[in-house]
Amino acid sequence: MNCETARVLRETNDPALAQHLLSCPSCIMQTHARYYEAPPGLEQRIRQSLIQESLRDEALPQRAPTASQWRWLAIAASLLLVASTAWNVAMLRSRVDPERLLAGNVLSAHVRSLAGTHLLDVPSSDQHTVKPWFDGKTDFAPDVKFLEGFPLLGGRLEYIEGHPAAALIYGRDKHTINLFTWPSAASTAEATQTLNGYHLQNWSSNGMTFWAVSDLNEAELRQFVSLYRQK
Amino acid sequence: MDPARRLALFEQTVLPHLNAAYNLARWLTRNAHDAEDMTQEAYLRAFRSFDTFQGEDGRAWLLAVVRNTCFTWLRKRGNQPVEEFDEQMHGAPDESPDAESALINRAALGSLQECLEALPLEFREAIILRELEELSYKEISEIAHVPVGTVMSRLARARKRLQECLAGALS
Repeated sequence: MNCETARVLRETNDPALAQHLLSCPSCIMQTHARYYEAPPGLEQRIRQSLIQESLRDEALPQRAPTASQWRWLAIAASLLLVASTAWNVAMLRSRVDPERLLAGNVLSAHVRSLAGTHLLDVPSSDQHTVKPWFDGKTDFAPDVKFLEGFPLLGGRLEYIEGHPAAALIYGRDKHTINLFTWPSAASTAEATQTLNGYHLQNWSSNGMTFWAVSDLNEAELRQFVSLYRQK
Repeated sequence: MDPARRLALFEQTVLPHLNAAYNLARWLTRNAHDAEDMTQEAYLRAFRSFDTFQGEDGRAWLLAVVRNTCFTWLRKRGNQPVEEFDEQMHGAPDESPDAESALINRAALGSLQECLEALPLEFREAIILRELEELSYKEISEIAHVPVGTVMSRLARARKRLQECLAGALS
């Protein structure tokens, strides 16, 4: 028997194992002597004492910088200043446009309504059913309109940026249009944008903000909006 | 070297050998509490003299510090180093085959612990470094500050004593 075999047999009561171990102290050491592992927490305590020791070193008086070191320090400081100024300017410029943030929220509401089963709170093609449904649910009365070529599917209560909003749902072939509206003091000109392949068109009128969202092509969405605004 | 870099380098090269350090301290002091103190003390010493570390094997370097820390402390407590003693004084082991095959159980193997702890400090040191840490004779000789020849003779004696002690425990 050799140490390798002894290692394999170490948990057994094989008589040959005992024989070998007794004749080979090196082997018995390697197979049976205890290897003590450091107790939990010791490493942490050591790390802490090393950090303290290291801080003590740091606190020791250092040689004053020489003239050339001062020059380098000055250069480093001015570079740092330039870098931080540039960084701040860049951050100001790239600050997220609130309008874009709102567009993202509106799009999320649209996608959510299509992904789940909750597209319609009040399924109806009758504008006189949909409009009163919002009574008591919102403190405004959304303008629900009949639009030629864009059948009304119903309405739904939404929350956009923490405010209740009315969602009016219209169809166009197999496409769905969410028209969100809520009261807002902001007056914005009509604008169109595309986000993740969806088209969004927003405008404001009479103290209400409107956002139309759909995967419909842009021209048809424009047509939808102009129809709605004409009426 | 600036302190932060020094600390980071130390943590990379020396701290990973914590188990080896503790294991050696545990075998040399023979108890957990002192082993922990010694390990912590050794690490602090090692850190203070880290500038003398030449980037060789961090484990062997650390073990040398652990060993010195333990020996200093043990000697202060009156633990005298052994003389390279006369083997003739100690009887030959009982080699009856019956006793040998009776070993065969864990109870007997449990006496390995006692036999190891009963070894003189220098012998224990040598056998732990050789068999558990698998250091070379040369590394052990550097750690123990003795010639390689002495390491070899200490190892041989340690093994012989261990064998005798185990056989004794069985009879």
